[in-house]
Amino acid sequence: MAQGWRGKEAIEMATTTGVSKEEFKNAKLYKSVHGIDMEEFYTSGHRTCQGCESALVMRDFVKASGPRTVVTGATGCMYVANTSYMTTPWVVPWMHTQLGGGGASAVGMAAGLRALMRKGKIPDEKINVINFSGDLGGGDMGLGGISGALQTDYDMLIIIYDNESAANTDIQATNMTPWGAQTTFTPTGSKKRIMHDKWKKNVAPMLAIGHPNCKYVATACATFPPMDYMNKVKKALSIGGPTLIHTMDPCPKGWDYHPRYSGDLGQLAIKTGIFPLYEIIKGEVNYTYDARKTKRVPVREYLEKQGRFSHFIEDDFEFVQSRVDEMWNDWEIPGVAPIKGWLSVRR
Amino acid sequence: MSGSSRGTKSEAVSTAEMEKSVLRLEVNYRGIFQKSLAYRITNDLVYAAHSEGKTAFSNGRYSDDPQRNGVPCANFAFFSDALSEDDLEAVASASMDIDRANVVVVLDDTMVKGLEPWGHYGIRPINEKVIPGGTLLIVSRRKPEELIRHLEKKTFDYNIAILPGDQSFAGLWYYRDDATDVRTIAAVARVAPEIVGIHSVEEYVKKKYNDAAKVKSLQEAYDSVVVREVKQSEGIAWPHSKPKLPSWDSFDEGIVVKSVERGFTLGPRGQNRNPNFKRGTSKTQRPVIRFDTCIKCTLCWYDCPDECFDPTADGLYDVNYEYCTGCGRCAQVCPVDDCIVMVDDLNFEDNSSPWEMYKRDAEGYVKWLEEKKGKVRFMPSPVTGKGVRHTEIKAAVPFKQDGGN
Repeated sequence: MAQGWRGKEAIEMATTTGVSKEEFKNAKLYKSVHGIDMEEFYTSGHRTCQGCESALVMRDFVKASGPRTVVTGATGCMYVANTSYMTTPWVVPWMHTQLGGGGASAVGMAAGLRALMRKGKIPDEKINVINFSGDLGGGDMGLGGISGALQTDYDMLIIIYDNESAANTDIQATNMTPWGAQTTFTPTGSKKRIMHDKWKKNVAPMLAIGHPNCKYVATACATFPPMDYMNKVKKALSIGGPTLIHTMDPCPKGWDYHPRYSGDLGQLAIKTGIFPLYEIIKGEVNYTYDARKTKRVPVREYLEKQGRFSHFIEDDFEFVQSRVDEMWNDWEIPGVAPIKGWLSVRR
Repeated sequence: MSGSSRGTKSEAVSTAEMEKSVLRLEVNYRGIFQKSLAYRITNDLVYAAHSEGKTAFSNGRYSDDPQRNGVPCANFAFFSDALSEDDLEAVASASMDIDRANVVVVLDDTMVKGLEPWGHYGIRPINEKVIPGGTLLIVSRRKPEELIRHLEKKTFDYNIAILPGDQSFAGLWYYRDDATDVRTIAAVARVAPEIVGIHSVEEYVKKKYNDAAKVKSLQEAYDSVVVREVKQSEGIAWPHSKPKLPSWDSFDEGIVVKSVERGFTLGPRGQNRNPNFKRGTSKTQRPVIRFDTCIKCTLCWYDCPDECFDPTADGLYDVNYEYCTGCGRCAQVCPVDDCIVMVDDLNFEDNSSPWEMYKRDAEGYVKWLEEKKGKVRFMPSPVTGKGVRHTEIKAAVPFKQDGGN
């Protein structure tokens, strides 16, 4: 009964992944879950939902980056949940910025620190600058600012935490909401079953391809495979320059599932291949969990565990499966770049 | 919610005079999963009262939004047989919260341990707003006495009413209609017929749903409510300090919030945490841990989104129940059979460290724990509205003498 779906496999995975490469020899990557730092810099007492994955994304990035970190957060549920009513669970300094202001605030913070260090007003040391924006704040509204930030030469990490909706204001659709999902903007009805008929925006490759000077772009899930996300944060911070991580955050509130299953849904999103896991290091794609190698799990197993897809009929499951198959089978770089998937030269 | 009539029925009457006819109802529920349910209850009560010619309206507590899973939230409904809607709104609404209620409905019985909603500091008693002679109406499978032992002692007598039923986590997009809505309305009609009579409720439900099963559960609920008086001597001295919000002149320059001071040591309560908002009242179930069978895999600690697990020097993980929201992720990820199990929070008296108890007397701890756990295990279906699976285990995992060391 208490047997998690991960079971032994998770422990095995937890002790075998995270092998450090020569180029990340200074990143101090975690090699075992037992080696993870125990101290918290984002601690208990926050107003997040039960089972919130995004809270783990926050806790883990600051755990990986350590106490010499400053964080800026764009408006979103992870802002409101963590500084409302004059209390906070943050140990490290944190600053709120506007919904679309993630990129600009990180640039400003990094530039300010560099200037203060140059003038000798603060000691010259490595201080990690991290911005934390949601799928609406980062992937939609703040995209321009993030694009600008990725063209600078400041050291900073931008994390887009993607819970596939504007979850703070009670679940409105964003461009990162998956096809067919119910939100308050896109309820199902008797006349039209599928209100959200757009495919999810592919934001990480878009930013990687469009910003060739950005040395590190990755996708991640906070808890699966164990340590993978934290090591990606360490890699991003050690490689230098502006970097980006896009995380997949199951959201019990908006996806309408029992909070107990957040970890399972993150795992299923990766194993079904609906959310490909990779890192792009100086233009080279490295699959950190290749769903093809474990024989992709049918997407139905992922979709049917969420209330937001409870209106799906057989055709809908098949349609989503066909799009995911296409992504892995037909794209030039499977799961990442859809050049051959939909783009072609007119003859 | 629109009222039955606009304009003024009463002119130049003092607020105190108008107040006399106002009846207030509060519905306490768990954020998100009971949101649709709570709105149905207050809406239906308002419409049923309208059919009796009363003025009524309902609203949600402003500071509850944006709601979070499990966080205690409240809806209010106001009724009057003398005032116009404008007057009723003038007297009863336009405030963030209400300070008294004739009937306080509780949709999840674990809330009797206290409430810590979004917009407040500290843990408040569930019966805080009940007026003398008013009623605390709880949906529960427990006896009144089992719930009263968690309630704050009042300075007057009031009533407790139990509507037999489970916590209905009806869901958000997928709404499960298990008749908790009409059953609760019937129970309100039973304990406070001055708000709305059962006949009006029955007529309204017949018209709205046209469903014989709904009407039947309405009558069943009306008859099954157990009412008992709570004397002022009953209850406990409230163990938590009452909430106190900082006033505008106590803020720092700009909007500066004091961070948590850095601090970590191994062992129970070794990690510094946010002292002003703890969040532990969000839980309906708590994870209980068999330290003797633990394999020290770290996954409960690794997966906990509320950072509740404290690593100890012997490689185990203590849990701080003051901050635990009862999401169940640790129980789900734990690879050992029956090692972390979610158990009804009402079975427990306090939030003290389970690891310390285990260290004092390992075998005694396991025995105590297995009694609390019982033989039935609850497994919620992934989609919240689709119910809970109950399974019975044959026997508890035997105590492992040298485990956990």
